[in-house]
Amino acid sequence: MTAILCQSLSKTYRSGLIRRREVHALSDFSLEVQEGEIFGLLGPNGAGKTTFIKILLSIARQTAGSAFILDEKVPEAKIRSRIGYLPENHRYPGYLSGEQVLRFFGQLSGVSSGDLSLRIPSLLELVGLAQWRTVKVKRYSKGMMQRLGLAQALVNDPELLFLDEPTDGVDPVGRKEIRDILTGLRDRGKTIFLNSHLLSEVELISDRVAILDRGRLLRVGTVDDLTSEGSHYRFTLEGGLSEALLQEARARAYHLQQDGEKVTAKCADSHELNQLIDMLRRHGVLIRSIAPERSSLEESFIRLIKNEEAG
Amino acid sequence: MKLLALLLHAFLELKAKITLIVLAGISTLVLLVVLLALSSGQSEAGTTLFIFGQPASPPVAPDALAKLVSQIQGELAGGLFFGISLFGVFATASLIPDAQEKGTIDIYLSKPMARWQLLLGKQLGAVGVVFANIVYFVGASWLIIGLKVGVWNPHYLAAGLSMTLAFACLYSIVVFLAVISRSTAISIIGAFIYYFIAPVFLEGRESTLYLISENAVYRAIVDGLYYALPQITALTSNIGNQIAQSPVEWVPFLQAPLSAAAIFGVAALLFNRTDY
Repeated sequence: MTAILCQSLSKTYRSGLIRRREVHALSDFSLEVQEGEIFGLLGPNGAGKTTFIKILLSIARQTAGSAFILDEKVPEAKIRSRIGYLPENHRYPGYLSGEQVLRFFGQLSGVSSGDLSLRIPSLLELVGLAQWRTVKVKRYSKGMMQRLGLAQALVNDPELLFLDEPTDGVDPVGRKEIRDILTGLRDRGKTIFLNSHLLSEVELISDRVAILDRGRLLRVGTVDDLTSEGSHYRFTLEGGLSEALLQEARARAYHLQQDGEKVTAKCADSHELNQLIDMLRRHGVLIRSIAPERSSLEESFIRLIKNEEAG
Repeated sequence: MKLLALLLHAFLELKAKITLIVLAGISTLVLLVVLLALSSGQSEAGTTLFIFGQPASPPVAPDALAKLVSQIQGELAGGLFFGISLFGVFATASLIPDAQEKGTIDIYLSKPMARWQLLLGKQLGAVGVVFANIVYFVGASWLIIGLKVGVWNPHYLAAGLSMTLAFACLYSIVVFLAVISRSTAISIIGAFIYYFIAPVFLEGRESTLYLISENAVYRAIVDGLYYALPQITALTSNIGNQIAQSPVEWVPFLQAPLSAAAIFGVAALLFNRTDY
């Protein structure tokens, strides 16, 4: 089953009565997310990430296009009983305890009282708030609020989970715990849709990612796909390369950079890499080591965004 | 289940804001005054009603006593509804604007319920809080008067329901303003203007708005507004008649809820079309 399917989704916000202003939050955006994967949506501020989630959850309405969640057309209220959502900058009533927050939003999710009595203690245990269950949430730290938000998103045992900046304000240990929870959920067959600007977080747990900028989809693929673009190999050579050999290699369109005995080469694929090795060996160059060096997701992301800005 | 959860949550929210306690506190204070002030004495000539030890009337027969008591109850109900309108709106108007705040509305709207249900749950919560206070005040004052004077007027209890209905109608204005403005202040000010000032111009339109123009279309619009908006003042003035068992005009009891339901419907429609 497809967890999320959207086709040519567009959203234009209009404001002003006399001087109409239009902001295109999403433009002709199409995406497919498979069931059981952790999918990361990346983009700079204002890229349209949150707008996309809001359209899927019927918090905002699309201007054009169509969207389906778990094979049901959006907007369809009943589908939301199979969805969990942790919004960015969420607020819970400070006068309620963590337990009361989960009970209230669980009731609104249509979970029976009996199920809630069983589920709430285990959820609080899962997110590490068991000892704080009766404490009013106004006394919670930001990290604790995020944990509570995650528990709230899980209160109806959803098949699909939307998380907007889930590790915002959480310390490194807490982030690791949240990552473990999310991978555990994925292993149980849940689909997780992640919005985050913490690229290293997304890189660690996402099966696939999409990059969105100014409402348009730039790339979608696995983290490997995205980080292999622009990847290179670092050669350590005995004595380095002669100037003549360097010129010859460049003439054959190999992108080489030399720094002492270290040579960095950009190769489009393993075939090109082997051709370069053959050429170096033909010239009697002694290769001590070859190490692949990939771009981080952050580097790939920044490169894509800059390319986009440059047109 | 979902509406009940929203209703109970409104009680917790208002309790946390102290307004519920203040509302109950004012009621308790008035009840204490009634308890201390009211007493009665029997003589061969009839029953004498005393207020702070001073005879409020000469000794009267049971029928006249019942009439006297219903007058007192009418005064109490009038004061209560004035206080409820003023303080109840002030205390509960924040329920919908608070729910529309960023970070809160996202969670509400991600739940499997229609938007009108959220709005209705909030309205029921506000009306429920006010109803609880009316039940407390009317029930307790009915008991005090019954025990001290021996007159048990069931119409006074029924008036509690009418007051709740009138508040629910007034609250539809609050809901409408809260949806379009997302502001507690505007909701309160708008509701107060409607409750305190609009009657002067709409109910008293013949001596106010009619004077502006004799144009038939203009007057039809003014009349249309009067009949389209909830006639809360007409409704509340009938509550006194209800307690005194005088003839009651039932049209406002029908017109006000229908009009309030229509206003709530428009608010729900606008709420449904809003992007958050």
